[in-house]
Amino acid sequence: MRNAFSDALVAAALADSKVLLLTGDHGYALFDAFRKARPEQYINCGVAEQNMVGVAAGLAKAGFKPIVYGLAAFVPVRVLEQIKIDVCYESLPVILIGDGAGLVYSHLGASHQSTEDIACVRAIPELTVLSPADRFEMTATMRLALQLASPVYLRVGKSDRGDVHPGPIELRAGQLVQVRKGARRIALLATGSMVKTAQELADQGLDAEVWSVPSIKPLSSQQLAEITSRVDGIVTLEEHSIMGGLGACVAENVAGQRRPLPICRIGVEDRFSSYCGTWDYLLQEHRLDLPSVKQRVDAFLFNCTRRGPPEATACTD
Amino acid sequence: MNTFNATHIRKVILDMAYSGATVHIGCAFSIVELLAVLYRNHLQLDLADPASPTRDYLVLSKGHGVMAQYACLHELGWLTDDDIGQYFKNGTRLKGLADARVPGVEATTGTLGHGLSVATGLALAAKLNKTNQTCYALVGDGELNEGAIWEAALFAAHFKLDNLVLMVDKNGFQAMGPTDEVIALGNIEEKFRAFGFDAVTIDGHDELVIDAAYARFKATRNGRPKAIVATSVKGKGVSFMENNNLWHYTRLTPETHAAAIAELKRDETRTP
Repeated sequence: MRNAFSDALVAAALADSKVLLLTGDHGYALFDAFRKARPEQYINCGVAEQNMVGVAAGLAKAGFKPIVYGLAAFVPVRVLEQIKIDVCYESLPVILIGDGAGLVYSHLGASHQSTEDIACVRAIPELTVLSPADRFEMTATMRLALQLASPVYLRVGKSDRGDVHPGPIELRAGQLVQVRKGARRIALLATGSMVKTAQELADQGLDAEVWSVPSIKPLSSQQLAEITSRVDGIVTLEEHSIMGGLGACVAENVAGQRRPLPICRIGVEDRFSSYCGTWDYLLQEHRLDLPSVKQRVDAFLFNCTRRGPPEATACTD
Repeated sequence: MNTFNATHIRKVILDMAYSGATVHIGCAFSIVELLAVLYRNHLQLDLADPASPTRDYLVLSKGHGVMAQYACLHELGWLTDDDIGQYFKNGTRLKGLADARVPGVEATTGTLGHGLSVATGLALAAKLNKTNQTCYALVGDGELNEGAIWEAALFAAHFKLDNLVLMVDKNGFQAMGPTDEVIALGNIEEKFRAFGFDAVTIDGHDELVIDAAYARFKATRNGRPKAIVATSVKGKGVSFMENNNLWHYTRLTPETHAAAIAELKRDETRTP
């Protein structure tokens, strides 16, 4: 996935000399190919993220297409106001890359973990929010971001979970991409690293349909309506807070539909990580590892299939 | 022929502030000459196209002084009489802080510490495009409290943005009091010099001196960004507003409006 990211950056820079890569002194080794191919289009802005986003806005006003790279804890969270006012208010073509999103920096603690970034940015008008799950989605989301010519936040999380698609995909803004069909009347909607988990869950007996959501905002209401029309329950999975992320987007959307539908939102439950450890360890701490998720989904399905109105519209096990 | 007469600009500001019952009069008055001289003699603009790609840039980072810029944009013909006369009326487009959706306003500011970074990006763009454009950025002295200003200063010096001219409106006040009492700034000129700028301190109301500073700095392409520290008077031009920080917040009454206009008229008759 990181190679796909690097390849997409290099291709974009080679195709258009107005594409500039700005980094807040992050991305060691990741940008080697870019710096070799187009050194004059690479700008290290130093450890000064607020200025970097303002500079990107100025460059974009003058016709450049800046791609701003930082860790998700800093871009977009630290620079939220610059994104809102300098970039989005004028709908400038700036692509903001937030790398290491979720619990990737598991050993470094709360400062570098990012489980609130989607919630922070998605209420900003003009901003598209993308969240690729594998190398094919990375390529497709980068292509989409460059085509849009408007502000984009591209969230890059755990990048080594393997492919969720068999090959390259085409992607429109808002589109959900099905990665598995299912016999059960249950849909798993996941984004980023958790698409793989959703696939594994479905493959290990749940037999639900699985959708990847690489476009968090916009999110196709029509596609969601089609999915909800044929299932009895939805499970959302994300390496992000259950507040304001994918689960919230889906719940908000479904709440406006005619048919009530129980939704189980699986994500980080409004808390910081307590412990140090590997990424897998922190998934367990947050009950986002496969066995924990399976347990939670089973409990949700048990609730859904009981008589009477569904007890829970959110996962409250 | 645009004259950008300072007294006229102050009258426009007073009329806008009075009809719109708005604040920030003192903050606009202190930058009148800095803007007047810039628009009159230095900014290269295409009158037919405020967004002309070859324009010089002016980023008003102290967005709360925007009434002074509105008066200049009105004189350019980019704002209408209605824009000025209907200030703050429901459904109008001019807000109380600089807004990039207004023709001729480069950045949305008023939330402080943003404009210099955007200006730095514009200056860098001009360098990358190998154009001769100059980018001017006007910040308040209180605004220098913002950390992003110093991020931008480091960046501008590192990338040798000698086409960036920063003006600091050193009126000595910020929202809650004198800058020395809130967060002392020390020697601003020396600070910018230490950051790698060519820097000078001038009288922010002496148009000849301002003109000379702009002329010298925009012509000096020596690899160093430029800083003009303009010592100014908050509320300059109306005696009861001068150095009275209440006029950061106070709205005009019929009496104070009339008194202020009368003072400006007296000044006008004295001007040769």
